[in-house]
Amino acid sequence: MKNLRIHTPEGFRDIYGSMGFKKRELMESLHKVFEAYGYEDIETPTVEYFDVFGSDIGTTPSNELYKFFDRDGNTLVLRPDFTPSVARAVAMHFPKEGMPFRLAYKGSTFVNMEEYQLHLKEQTQMGVELIGDGSVEADAEILRLTCDLLLRSGLKDFQVSIGENNYFKSLAQDSGLGDEKIEEIRRLISNKNFFGVEELLEGSETFDSIRQAFIRMPQMFGGPEILDEAEKYAVNDGAREAIVRLREIGGAVRESGHERFLSYDFGLLSKFHYYTGIIFSAFTYGTGEPVAKGGRYDRLLQHFGMDAPAIGVGLYIDQLGNALSRRNRI
Amino acid sequence: MKYLTIALTKGRLAKKTLELFKKAGITSGGADDENTRKLIFTNEEMGVRFFLAKGPDVPTYVAYGAADIGIVGRDTILEEGRKIYEVLDLKYGACRMCICGPPGAREILNSGDQFRVATKYPNIAKDYFLNRRHQSVEIIKMNGSIELAPIVGLSEVICDIVETGSTLKENGLEVLEEVCHLSARVVVNQVSMKMENARITWLITKLKEVMEK
Repeated sequence: MKNLRIHTPEGFRDIYGSMGFKKRELMESLHKVFEAYGYEDIETPTVEYFDVFGSDIGTTPSNELYKFFDRDGNTLVLRPDFTPSVARAVAMHFPKEGMPFRLAYKGSTFVNMEEYQLHLKEQTQMGVELIGDGSVEADAEILRLTCDLLLRSGLKDFQVSIGENNYFKSLAQDSGLGDEKIEEIRRLISNKNFFGVEELLEGSETFDSIRQAFIRMPQMFGGPEILDEAEKYAVNDGAREAIVRLREIGGAVRESGHERFLSYDFGLLSKFHYYTGIIFSAFTYGTGEPVAKGGRYDRLLQHFGMDAPAIGVGLYIDQLGNALSRRNRI
Repeated sequence: MKYLTIALTKGRLAKKTLELFKKAGITSGGADDENTRKLIFTNEEMGVRFFLAKGPDVPTYVAYGAADIGIVGRDTILEEGRKIYEVLDLKYGACRMCICGPPGAREILNSGDQFRVATKYPNIAKDYFLNRRHQSVEIIKMNGSIELAPIVGLSEVICDIVETGSTLKENGLEVLEEVCHLSARVVVNQVSMKMENARITWLITKLKEVMEK
């Protein structure tokens, strides 16, 4: 029988010795990058009201949240990610006139996943939110920062893959297809199912150009040449604007010399309404999961009573540590 | 060059898959030799290596990135629920996931009473009854010979794969409802798809080509 007095619960662990040293060193060096970019530290509580991560806001399904009650019977949760917490804190404490706000956070996040999935249930995240700036320059700043963070961590071979939610969304709106079918297409595209979309759309009534776009989307990922291809299928304003935006962002990142790390992925679709513009994930060898994720969320702060555009990125420190330690063994 | 690692599901599926790869001009370095005791097979010239694994382990190898690509039945993908790309339907190994039982069980299924479901696929069964039929049922996880369960009174119905239906018939059972269609799928690790895009896309397109011939 397991001795509950000496073991940690499943998905939780002790960190000590050289592992702890490496983790601290990594986090300290990343923090220096935050400082160099002018980001100020913010600390939010580990425990929040459930409402902060409600289904209209959060990216974590309710059944994966650690929930409990306070003395008054309100539902509390352990934070599953930082972005809604930081948005809440900003809406509560920061006068709008002071925008933009550059905020950096670090700490544990808790997600009660099914057992034996990839994740630890308690994971360390470090990241930033840039609130009150909806410009291309803000998008580029966050992407540059992401590259600089990964470079500083010691990674050399990584890719930051960028998608634009509005490209698919606006094409889907004009496709004349029902919600159920669009959801199925979204799933197939996110799954990179090259031929599934084609089969699904066989014989269904939609504009030929949009059909072609959907069929190509699972394969629309790669370097800047992908933007040219995506443009061919961009038959409405929403889709065209998405491409223009991505081009401008690419241009703004180029000046820093980091564009070699960027790639584009029109199949990177988020299930959540949380993201309103670009979304991105950073990948590298040695870990089967992204080491960083981010995106623009211009409507999130509205939920907390403040109307401000925002973008952010979060680094999964444990994944990053794995990638760094396995890097030389592959 | 880094090897492209492919995980195959042991058994019939692997045999079919290796034939398909062979037709596509990708030899497996001896994985099709049934008498071998080797665990991993390398095609040095193409930088591809193969290994055989138990079905439910294939999505695991792929999710963790230990294999870049996996060939596995859709039943296993649904049951394991891992975060992997499901990129191609290979069409073979086609069968159905069904709810089966003795003819009399049809009534129980629609009665609103609590009943028991024996299955090798508790997640698929749970999802079907909870989210599609809006019924709460008692699920009993089994590891084989599921058809036995309703006969000896362990459960009222079963949730299992049906190919021809002859095992069911011989044991006085029948298909009561269909849950979904199944076949072999190609799955890919999310990171590999990005980092090894050119080679993986080439491989998948090639497979699709020979499949259609």
